[in-house]
Amino acid sequence: MLYFFAGIFLILLQSTFLSLLPFGPVVPDFVLILCVYLGLHHPTMGAAVGSFVLGYSIDVVSSRQLGFNAFAMTLVFLAVYFSSRTIWLQNPVVTSLIVLFAALIKGLALVLVWMIFLNTEGFWLGAARYMLMEALFAAALAPLVFSLLRRSESFIKKFDTVI
Amino acid sequence: MLAFFRKNQVPLSCCFCLLLSVYILTAGARGQLKNEPLGALLMWIMRPLQIAAQGTVNWIGGLQDKYDTLAGFRAENERLRTRIQALEVERQKLLESQASNSRLTQLLDLRSHLPGKPVTASIIAHSASSWFQSCLLDKGSADGVSKGMAVVTPLGVLGQVASVTPRTAKVLLVTDPNSGIDVLVQRTRARGIVSGSLENGPVLKYVKRSEEVQEGDRLITSGTDGVFPKGMMVGTIIKVTKQHIGLFQFIEVLPAVQAARVEEVLVVGAINSSAKN
Repeated sequence: MLYFFAGIFLILLQSTFLSLLPFGPVVPDFVLILCVYLGLHHPTMGAAVGSFVLGYSIDVVSSRQLGFNAFAMTLVFLAVYFSSRTIWLQNPVVTSLIVLFAALIKGLALVLVWMIFLNTEGFWLGAARYMLMEALFAAALAPLVFSLLRRSESFIKKFDTVI
Repeated sequence: MLAFFRKNQVPLSCCFCLLLSVYILTAGARGQLKNEPLGALLMWIMRPLQIAAQGTVNWIGGLQDKYDTLAGFRAENERLRTRIQALEVERQKLLESQASNSRLTQLLDLRSHLPGKPVTASIIAHSASSWFQSCLLDKGSADGVSKGMAVVTPLGVLGQVASVTPRTAKVLLVTDPNSGIDVLVQRTRARGIVSGSLENGPVLKYVKRSEEVQEGDRLITSGTDGVFPKGMMVGTIIKVTKQHIGLFQFIEVLPAVQAARVEEVLVVGAINSSAKN
């Protein structure tokens, strides 16, 4: 439930509040970070479907065609799920690197889908720029978002215990 | 079989989601995705939240715009204020240069009318005692200034050199009690001596009771003392008192030159007989 609300909040954040910040056309992808978090810490079927729904929600809110982000986020979750088995260390640097890696996968997935379903005229330079910028933003923000999610989890656990 | 599914439920569910995504993409590309319930549901959930969030964003954006505008005004204001200050300084310099130029032009003009080779000097200090009315010039004996020389300005007589050093000269002002200048009343040609006094400022001495003088009469140098060139303004009569007894009138004078307001002067040497007339 936490991730459902977190997801909605992050989508709202991405689609509204981030426009106030001077990032230009690049929107920091908090939803991607959430998907990576789910892939690392909650490798369940529900989380996989959750990643799909998160991506799909972004498509519903902002994509030209449905399925783009749903595909990319699911792929990200799957990649993180497989790589999480080999990751033993958890610290902000590693978190950032994983998110950077995941963001690049997402970017490549979007490029792939774009190439298949949409017009690629004048696409490559912008795609490369956005992919790199998004990846860097996401990597920079990942430790903070991870920390907030962990705190929220522990707070809810304590709350449940008290009840 | 069930164990396989249970063991690989995450990858399998991911694969299912990926396939679903591809299906949605393909259907969307073919235009077959007319009514899709999940998107409608998500939008139904998201819409009010989006509206509220966007309202908040617009409000914050409005605040930000106002702040930016104010900040812009403030920056512009600050820039203009700095510019005004710079222009004020520049204007002050120009005014000062203009005033200085005017003074020096007048001084040059006067210099061309004076006999000998007048020395141009600047006042570098004023009297440090209320008992003495003097000032200090930046030129001295090394520049040709000697004791007894007249010190004049385009407005009139300032005083007389009382002492010199190689680089400075001390001037006894007209207003000093120890000074004395032979003058003529310009209108009546009556003669007298202008001298300072501690009580009432400069006074015109030794004017006979019979002489007709009045307030406003201008006093000029007579040129007969061999110090001051003839015809230079010394002051204006501001009060005439004829006492019951005594040979002379008591006449108060307003000096033509206020030493405190003078910056440059000419120091004039002794006048020869030809210059006297």
